Amino acid sequence: MTTSHILLHRLLRANLSPWRIAGFIVSNLLGLAIICAGVQIYADLRGLLHSEGNVIDTGYLVLNKRVTASTMLGDSRSDFTADEIADLKAQPWVRGVGRFSASGYEVRAGIEQGGRGMSTMLFFESVPDSFVDVSAADWHYEPGQREVPIIIAKDYLTLYNFGFATSAGLPRVSEQVMSGLPISLRLSGNDGRQMQLTGRIVGYSDRLNTVLVPESFMNWSNEMLAPGASGQPTRLIVDVSSPGDVAIAPYLEAHGMEAAGDQSGSTANYLLKIGAGVVIGIGVVITLLSVFILMLSMSLLLEKNRPTIHSLLQLGYGFGEVSAPYRLVVIIATAISLICAIGAVALLRHAYRPALEALDTPGASIWWSVGAAVIVSVISLGINLWSVRRRIYAAWR
Amino acid sequence: MTSVIINSHIGSITLEAMLPVVFSAEPPAESGVWLCKVCFERGRFYRIEAASGAGKSSLCSYIYGTRTDYSGRLLIGDTDAAVIKPEQWQQLRRMHLAYVPQELGLFGSLTAFENIELKNRLTGYAERRQIEHWLERLGIADRADWPADRLSVGQRQRVALIRALCQPFDFLLLDEPVSHLDSVNNRLAAEMIATEARRQGAAIISTSVGNPLVLEDAKILRL
Repeated sequence: MTTSHILLHRLLRANLSPWRIAGFIVSNLLGLAIICAGVQIYADLRGLLHSEGNVIDTGYLVLNKRVTASTMLGDSRSDFTADEIADLKAQPWVRGVGRFSASGYEVRAGIEQGGRGMSTMLFFESVPDSFVDVSAADWHYEPGQREVPIIIAKDYLTLYNFGFATSAGLPRVSEQVMSGLPISLRLSGNDGRQMQLTGRIVGYSDRLNTVLVPESFMNWSNEMLAPGASGQPTRLIVDVSSPGDVAIAPYLEAHGMEAAGDQSGSTANYLLKIGAGVVIGIGVVITLLSVFILMLSMSLLLEKNRPTIHSLLQLGYGFGEVSAPYRLVVIIATAISLICAIGAVALLRHAYRPALEALDTPGASIWWSVGAAVIVSVISLGINLWSVRRRIYAAWR
Repeated sequence: MTSVIINSHIGSITLEAMLPVVFSAEPPAESGVWLCKVCFERGRFYRIEAASGAGKSSLCSYIYGTRTDYSGRLLIGDTDAAVIKPEQWQQLRRMHLAYVPQELGLFGSLTAFENIELKNRLTGYAERRQIEHWLERLGIADRADWPADRLSVGQRQRVALIRALCQPFDFLLLDEPVSHLDSVNNRLAAEMIATEARRQGAAIISTSVGNPLVLEDAKILRL
């Protein structure tokens, strides 16, 4: 630094109050840290909610018409019309709609093991493959194939094992054992046509609460056994872009629809969003206040030093040279609070890391909060540098 | 526009029917400057005589770009002062216009020498020996290391004059530069300034309410 720079800085730094700058650093640090913590915790926990296979949490809703007295009497429709499906597709929270197709024939399924057999009436449904959450290698069907892959809801096996098997004195079966059992299927059409096939359970779904067969089998078997059956679905599966969207429940209510399954995940997701929103909001308010603290401190300083600034500009010093010491103060103060805020969030994350590990979720990258802090700091820096520049120009005349 | 101003000399400063806004209700009847066409030429010396409150500090501020509360036109070279941007004024102040305002604008916390150096480091114009010689000449060499706020008004006027010489200029504006100097120091200061102005081929515009800088060959204008 040359002598004249030292002189310049000595003149322009007069009246600089370290306490006011420290006040900015502390409040800005607090605001930034709260924003970062909100962003980071949200990013970490979002992964947790989304990693579960639940219908709601992954953003899928299974819809049906509410069963009322009039639908029971057949006065109003229990299936979805093309218009209703189109309207649903047009909703902003809907990413895609899949139709459930139901079998239009009678299904009787039987299992035989060690001489003991049992059989039951059954039904089949199918949805487009993109909505199926089980990735089984055998999940495909060629028309005419003898063996039909089946996916059942995980809950059904649980119901059998802990409800039915216990009371009926039957052995419990694991998923593997169940998958190994051949199921004999007898399909009977309306016109008396029959078909004998073998079914095999290839997967268990968290998402779809039904007995699922591949869509290709459904189309083929309906064509063979129930030609001309109604094409309109009675259940829909909806890919929802933002689970927990407040617009969903009123829409379903207004159109007489019901969502199946447990929606607590959706509520948790919604609450997480609200919680993170509130925390980030508080952080933003504190940060804004801190920006104003620095702006006011710098304004006060520049106002006190206005005669000095004016005289230096009268001597011919450039605006850049005269504003340099003030810009330096703003940059250093912002950088200190940014670095401290990132450090604070890293510490916080280190503290709750074991909890994340206990929940068996990897968590999100720390760059989420670092990015947020850097963006907020750049904005705060920009505002303050602009404010300094304005004041310097004001002292020119 | 400014490239012309910045790279070459400013040959003239022209006032065309200028009048401070505060005088617009009652324009001065016999002014040789206000509402007249006046052309200050590079290389010539001017003395502007005025009674208090006639607007001599205003005139200096207008020419130096600090104030704009006037009607009429002011030309710096061929350029209307109204269109010169702040950054361009800063260049003019480093390269073409030197100014000793009435309030001097010294920094009280800096020493006399530091005040001069603050300007000279900006322009890199005068050698340290030269500055010491000027201080010697005006009899304030022994005050060089004193803080400016401990100097008398006369001493501060001499520091400000030396500071104004630490740059290249086409026009040197002096607003009552020697009001607190005795006749001996007045003559010494005048000689020093005139020598430097002649060496640069520059003009001097000096105002006074009673104790003028004794410049020979100065054209006298009544404000």
